[in-house]
Amino acid sequence: MEPWHGHLLKERVDQSSLLIQGNRACVLGALDAGVRFYAGYPITPSSEIMEAMAFELPRAGGVFVQMEDEIASICACIGAALTGEVAMTATSGPGFSLMQEAIGYAIMVEAPLVIVNVMRAGPSTGRPTAPSQGDVMQARWGTHGDHPAIVLAASNVADMYRLTMAAVRFALRFRTPVTLLADQVVGQMRESFSEELIGRYRLTSGDFDFTPGYLHPDVAREVRRPHILGSGEHPHVTGLFHDETGFPTNDPEKTDKFLRDLYNKVAHHRDELCLYDVKNEGNGRVCIVAYGSCARSARAAWRLADQEGLSVEILHLYTLFPLPVEIIQKVARRVEFMIIPELNLGQYAHEVRKMAEQWTTVIGMNKTDGTLITPREILDRIAELVGKYESV
Amino acid sequence: MTLEIEQLLHRERLPHIWCAGCGVGIVAGAFLRAVLDLGLKRENTVVVSGIGCSSRAAGYIDLNTVHAIHGRALPVATGIKMARPEFTVIVLTGDGDGAAIGGNHLIHSCRRNIDLTCILFNNQIYGMTGGQFSPTTEPGDIATTAPYGQFEPPFDLCRLAEAAGATFVARGTAANIRQTEKLIKQGIQHCGFSFIEAVVPCPTEYGRRNKPAKAVDMLEAERARSISKTKAARLSPEELRDKIVTGVLYEDTQKPEFQRTYAEVSAGVRAQVGRRFAEEDEK
Ligand SMILES: Cc1ncc(C[n+]2csc(CCOP(=O)(O)OP(=O)(O)O)c2C)c(N)n1
Ligand code: SF4
Ligand SMILES: [Mg+2]
Repeated sequence: MEPWHGHLLKERVDQSSLLIQGNRACVLGALDAGVRFYAGYPITPSSEIMEAMAFELPRAGGVFVQMEDEIASICACIGAALTGEVAMTATSGPGFSLMQEAIGYAIMVEAPLVIVNVMRAGPSTGRPTAPSQGDVMQARWGTHGDHPAIVLAASNVADMYRLTMAAVRFALRFRTPVTLLADQVVGQMRESFSEELIGRYRLTSGDFDFTPGYLHPDVAREVRRPHILGSGEHPHVTGLFHDETGFPTNDPEKTDKFLRDLYNKVAHHRDELCLYDVKNEGNGRVCIVAYGSCARSARAAWRLADQEGLSVEILHLYTLFPLPVEIIQKVARRVEFMIIPELNLGQYAHEVRKMAEQWTTVIGMNKTDGTLITPREILDRIAELVGKYESV
Repeated sequence: MTLEIEQLLHRERLPHIWCAGCGVGIVAGAFLRAVLDLGLKRENTVVVSGIGCSSRAAGYIDLNTVHAIHGRALPVATGIKMARPEFTVIVLTGDGDGAAIGGNHLIHSCRRNIDLTCILFNNQIYGMTGGQFSPTTEPGDIATTAPYGQFEPPFDLCRLAEAAGATFVARGTAANIRQTEKLIKQGIQHCGFSFIEAVVPCPTEYGRRNKPAKAVDMLEAERARSISKTKAARLSPEELRDKIVTGVLYEDTQKPEFQRTYAEVSAGVRAQVGRRFAEEDEK
């Protein structure tokens, strides 16, 4: 790989602590992870990713193309991925909707891609400059047919860096598109970002090594054998059901096996894919399950609660899909309430409820007005619940 | 010759899906002969197609082949070409695939003048889905979604490609396959976006509901309607209405090609930045 004389890199080297925007941290993570191909179409609040890529990639000997729409963008990424690149695109709701058919194709042909969706509020044009978490279930089930999905959620600027790297790693290892969900706040705010954030990152689910360069050897451990164009194998690549030769098949047995294998390559690696962090483990009757910008509020609520003599547990999810079934059920067994703040009408709470309701009461806290859920609001809700519980 | 062609075919995939009398296979054969004649290397040649009868050709060709999604062969090919400039990338598409659902990608690929060769099999109908009209169906003709006769005007795809910025534009027919083969060869050799419209009969979904109906008669009619660019120049628009103008219709070797231009810009920036970094290191 060519040396990368990037602006972003220079800023990072020059300053021990960098005040950087989430969208730019995402670009830094992508470049550190070896992304050298980007195709996109501008859309608020994700455009800074594309702009930084337009600036940095030519300097890194990579390819940047502004395509005519999001469908073309993801298709160009798929083309690049089929030649062995790990390609990336970024968008927001309207563009994410346009990409859905091609995401299914990428899954079917096992092309490694990273799709960053910096979510905006509402369906349609909605509110481009307000945050939301309205695309969670679309990220899981947006494209048609049964399919696997790997979906990560960033809650701060450092996450935009780290989880972009994780997304690249997962995409290469599992040869499938990985969606990184951010929202307008996480994407566009600035936070300090230091060298320490690069390296080993400790999570309850296990340490994650973010050392640049670490990601590449993983290619050798790919779950499925890649078909790389021009590799001497002259493969055939198709979105039709196909067998191990790559050619279409209508054989019911082969079709079924293909689909199940595709699904299971992700489902059977939940231990590796599910990143989460538990705070105040086993203390308190309430656990706040949160992801994205709501996890920031959750962590602040926990500190506030501590000051006020209330003990709450936090389950911060970095991986939304595959569903972190084991940890959710483990926590569900020990708490009386799971409270799930979300900037949507309860999309993920619904998933958690399905897994946890036999052990605990799952309560959603939802906002769709384009503002964030505050730590105080979460705390008030907890006090209400615990109080209510005590009066029973 | 035949033997060599067979080496470019996945013979185990035969028989193919095309109907008897279909023009797609005729032009696919011309494409394979062009690949052989030009001596293209298997490991460096990539064929990308969309969805449709014509796009299924990719599944029989033993090169690097990508059967993409409906209408999106060109952007997939763009990604491949940008990632691996040393590849020769050929797009096989249909009139529905390339000019309806993929029409936006077509004009933008022309505008960029990226070094791809796009062979559009124009059978003037949606063959695969059962004979619905396409953007090139002749006015007055019957399609399953134009049961009272097509009343939408058609595209002249070559004029569209030229206006959008393609730098090699040609039209051939299945009837005059030698000429079409030559045009495909020229298109592949041209550096820049090459657009080749191949007019092909679809007896099953077009002929069946219209005149002429039979495959051979459709080919005969194609031949009778074909006329060279020079001859066409002497005819009035009225006289030209029913004609298929064939040959190289437009060529420009001056317009910068997209991928090379990107590579130059990128190399320039790197040289500049590298110098600055080196200077700073010295300080
Ligand atoms: C998004 C999407 N819409 C519709 C279809 C159904 N479809 C498959 S092929 C086709 C038309 C193909 O027409 P053309 O490109 O002219 O190819 P032909 O079969 O005539 O060669 C359509 C509409 C599809 N596969 N995908
Ligand atoms: S339907 Fe038409 S285009 Fe399709 S294979 Fe049959 S003849 Fe060819
Ligand atoms: Mg057609």
